[in-house]
Amino acid sequence: MALGFFFDVTMCIGCRTCQVACKDRNGLKVGIVFRRVRSFETGHYPEALSYNYSGSCNHCKDARCVKGCPSGAMYHAEDGTVQHDRQKCLGCGYCTWNCPYGVPQLDEEAGIVGKCDSCKPLRDAGKNPVCVDACLMRCLEFGDLDELASRHGKNLVRELPILPSPALTNPCVAIKPKTCAFSADVREVDL
Amino acid sequence: MSRLFPKRKNTDRIPAGREFDQAAIDGQGKWIPAACWFNCGGRCYNAALVVNDMVVRQKTDDTHPDSPDFPQQRGCPRGRSMRQQVFGPDRLKYPIRRKHWEPLTGGDKTLRGRDEWVRISWDEAIDYVAAELKHAKETYGNRSIVVPHWANSFSEFYEVLNAFGGFTQIFDTGSFGTYVYVSLVLGLPLLDMDSANDRFDLRNSETIVLYACNPAWAAGGNPAYHFWQAKKAGAEFIFVGPSHNATADYLDARWIRVRPGTDTAFLLAVAYTMFKEDNPAGNPLIDWDFLHRYTVGIDAEHMPDDAMVDENFKDYVLGKYDGQPKTPAWASEISGTPVNDIVWYARQMRKDRKVALLHSYAAARCNNADDFPQIFMSIGAMGGHFGKSGHSCGAAYHFQSANCGPSLVSAGASGAPELPNQVTDIIAAVDLWDAILTGKYDSTPGPMIGVPVEKDIDIDIRVIYHAARNSLQTIPGCNKAIDAHRKLDFVVSNAFSLNTSARYSDIVLPISTQWERQSDYFYRPASNREVQFFPSRVIQPLYEARSDQWIATELCKRLGLDAKKVYPISEEQKYFNVIADSQVINAQGTGYETLVTISEEDLAEWGAKWGVTGTPQQGRIGLKELMEKGVYQVERYEGDNKGFISYKDFIEDPEANPLNSASGKFEIYCQTKADLINEMGRSTVKPYPTYIPALNGYEQSFSDWDNKVKGEYPYQVYNPHYPRRAHTVFDDTPVLREAWKNPVFISAHDATQKGIKDGDTVMIYNRYGKVLRKAGISHRIMPGCIALPHGAWMNIDEKTGIDNGGSDNVLCAPVTTGCGVTGYNTNLVNFEKYDGNPLEADTENLPRAMKLTKEVK
Repeated sequence: MALGFFFDVTMCIGCRTCQVACKDRNGLKVGIVFRRVRSFETGHYPEALSYNYSGSCNHCKDARCVKGCPSGAMYHAEDGTVQHDRQKCLGCGYCTWNCPYGVPQLDEEAGIVGKCDSCKPLRDAGKNPVCVDACLMRCLEFGDLDELASRHGKNLVRELPILPSPALTNPCVAIKPKTCAFSADVREVDL
Repeated sequence: MSRLFPKRKNTDRIPAGREFDQAAIDGQGKWIPAACWFNCGGRCYNAALVVNDMVVRQKTDDTHPDSPDFPQQRGCPRGRSMRQQVFGPDRLKYPIRRKHWEPLTGGDKTLRGRDEWVRISWDEAIDYVAAELKHAKETYGNRSIVVPHWANSFSEFYEVLNAFGGFTQIFDTGSFGTYVYVSLVLGLPLLDMDSANDRFDLRNSETIVLYACNPAWAAGGNPAYHFWQAKKAGAEFIFVGPSHNATADYLDARWIRVRPGTDTAFLLAVAYTMFKEDNPAGNPLIDWDFLHRYTVGIDAEHMPDDAMVDENFKDYVLGKYDGQPKTPAWASEISGTPVNDIVWYARQMRKDRKVALLHSYAAARCNNADDFPQIFMSIGAMGGHFGKSGHSCGAAYHFQSANCGPSLVSAGASGAPELPNQVTDIIAAVDLWDAILTGKYDSTPGPMIGVPVEKDIDIDIRVIYHAARNSLQTIPGCNKAIDAHRKLDFVVSNAFSLNTSARYSDIVLPISTQWERQSDYFYRPASNREVQFFPSRVIQPLYEARSDQWIATELCKRLGLDAKKVYPISEEQKYFNVIADSQVINAQGTGYETLVTISEEDLAEWGAKWGVTGTPQQGRIGLKELMEKGVYQVERYEGDNKGFISYKDFIEDPEANPLNSASGKFEIYCQTKADLINEMGRSTVKPYPTYIPALNGYEQSFSDWDNKVKGEYPYQVYNPHYPRRAHTVFDDTPVLREAWKNPVFISAHDATQKGIKDGDTVMIYNRYGKVLRKAGISHRIMPGCIALPHGAWMNIDEKTGIDNGGSDNVLCAPVTTGCGVTGYNTNLVNFEKYDGNPLEADTENLPRAMKLTKEVK
């Protein structure tokens, strides 16, 4: 049993509602993004295709942010998710160097790190993370990965050409890919 | 090293939004259903979490469990950013005037748009505005005051100006393009709205054509999700347009590429292929029974009684009149569509396939697109794709995208009087700036609204009043608009932020947002068919902001008008009346019943809080529960007798249920259309659809078409609706600027030729203006085409004359054709790598109001 996000690449329209709802809940200023939607293009005209990837903390089992945190601010909570204790945080930024996904964000001005907490207080009260309830396409979910896998089929992955190897951190994430997302000939595009 | 010894602020607790989680779930904070009131393309649920009179968070619909059949009405990133806008640094706090403005002369008028601002009191502001209006009326007459609005119904503010004797109006085909003129006459519903089947029936289609539609970007909320349900049910999607857009991507649509403004050529070749390949015995493509019974003008055997020209559609397509058969090869040279794709598309239209032909209005927002609605309809008719389950031919646009049909829950009437505008001048929007600069205009909107066509009318416009529309940058030709603004005696705006029209004004009156009002608004009832939203006031008006009706009432006092006659009903009472009068479909789906139950207790509460009166009534849901929820949604399910098949009555009995056209049928030959447009004198069209190369279209990108030598402006630019904003609204919202970077999309082929790399700053220019954007290089856009997202806030550098904001209408030509269409998608440009300073990210270029009002005294 491990908790994590499920993301369906096939359905995502790239609208970035999840990103904006996350910023709203976390009160984030411009430049600090806990959930980021990125868009990619593969292939060549006129056969080019595109897909979007909504990524946030993967609440890794071998989380490098936790291992490398000198103050113990980054830790695994009792439910296995990676949490961050703002009181303990030194703002050293080691976690921002260690995380291969670029998840922890250092607010230089405030001198503190922040990242996705998978909306733990909301989940503890029986609610979903805000990004999940915001999704126009219902292509984001959070829960027990085994359950998510049984619901969404066996072909879920943790690895795409645009992502770091899952061997690095053992991420708790389940991605339903579409074919073009496996293409190594991929360019990130600003929309 | 600095990170080892961080500059941590001297605080143990740096506020984080998540600290409001508790308030969000345990009742410490109050969730208030909040308006989402702009013309974004969606209609969705929004709510604001209020803690200690502060909005600390937003959410969307959680009023019932979510399912594809009974979906929550989830909002898009714009809706989720609403509090950034309401409380944003750009909010105007006080009435302001230009520092170098002087009453009745305008002072130094050339400083409009670049002057400093001075804070003034409301009394001063209203006195000034009233004095200018009176002066213009007494000296030059009411015709000298222009209010470039969409329609009176868009804002109650316009009533004061109607009561004052009226104003010159504009007529803008806007979003709907040529459909504004040629929908009813062809037999289509007005604007071709509500013309396709509903979302449940969409699941019965085998093929769904999305003709230039992009609900993923342009119709927030559920439309994209509804189309996904059709895909899951097995529909194959076809997308037609100049770029393989976000919608084509997620639906795995087959891309049929067509250059902007060449759609009629493409579809004529589709018709040619259908005529040529159709064989009733072996290969039945065309539904001849349908054409015979429900249409006129397909061929010489089916001419309408009112035909004045002895020509028909089929013989034109086959080349009988001009010697040019409209073959796929002929069209391909124009539209850029491969011949094989045209033939394939034609075969998909076959009568024995369940096809939904759905269009946006992008192809009709082109010069010389007067015949696009007719050819689109004609192809649908040839396949017989009207009025049957799985088959439909109509619009997929905005909140009706993927879900057409009459409202199942609808708003009532407010009871407010609508005053007539006594000025009869109506100027085509594209001609407005020239009319101000030259003092002349041609009246062509005429035949549609009962005003005679007349040329060279003298007009002396002295005042422009901007309210409920940001016209300076939503009408083509922004540089000409600036010249026009700098000529006028007086320019005034009602605005909540310094939008472009306000920026070029003399006086700006700060209005409250819909979150600060307990009132109705134009787009609230314009809902998706299963839902009505009932937001409440979230907060008290901020700073000195006031409602439009308050401003209008104050103006009445200074203009010698009886405010009680112009505005006899308060904003709160009007909203209450609309709610009380709302209707909902009954359980059987056979009729409507009253939506809201109102008790004596409700009346006492509303009376005390909002000064509202009413009478008790019985309905489906109590007022208190309705307003706490903020939404009423009819629960739909398969086979619930609330579905919609468009044209069903007409198809079942065409004689008893004729269409709006002269013949009562779909007019593939339409004498009324030809007469209507030809009378305007801007173009000459045939009664049947023909291809006319567009003004500023693809052909005109060549100096020598026959030898394919490109001209001075060799690229076509078009303007996709963009998720960062609703037209121009929201574009000053930081989180949206961060999420959506607003590059200009350029084909990889063209970029390579010009030596431009992704992210390079490029200048796009033509004879009307210059804009800067970062290049977004894409393999999913046709070479020769440039997509400049619609609505970016214009920000012209006075030294260079270059718009650093990337506003589309800086490049759109203030010229028109045919029905006077605003032809946003047919414009020609060139572009090059910019050799000045690279453009900074748009997030670095905020906020506007603070920068411009820092001189406020």
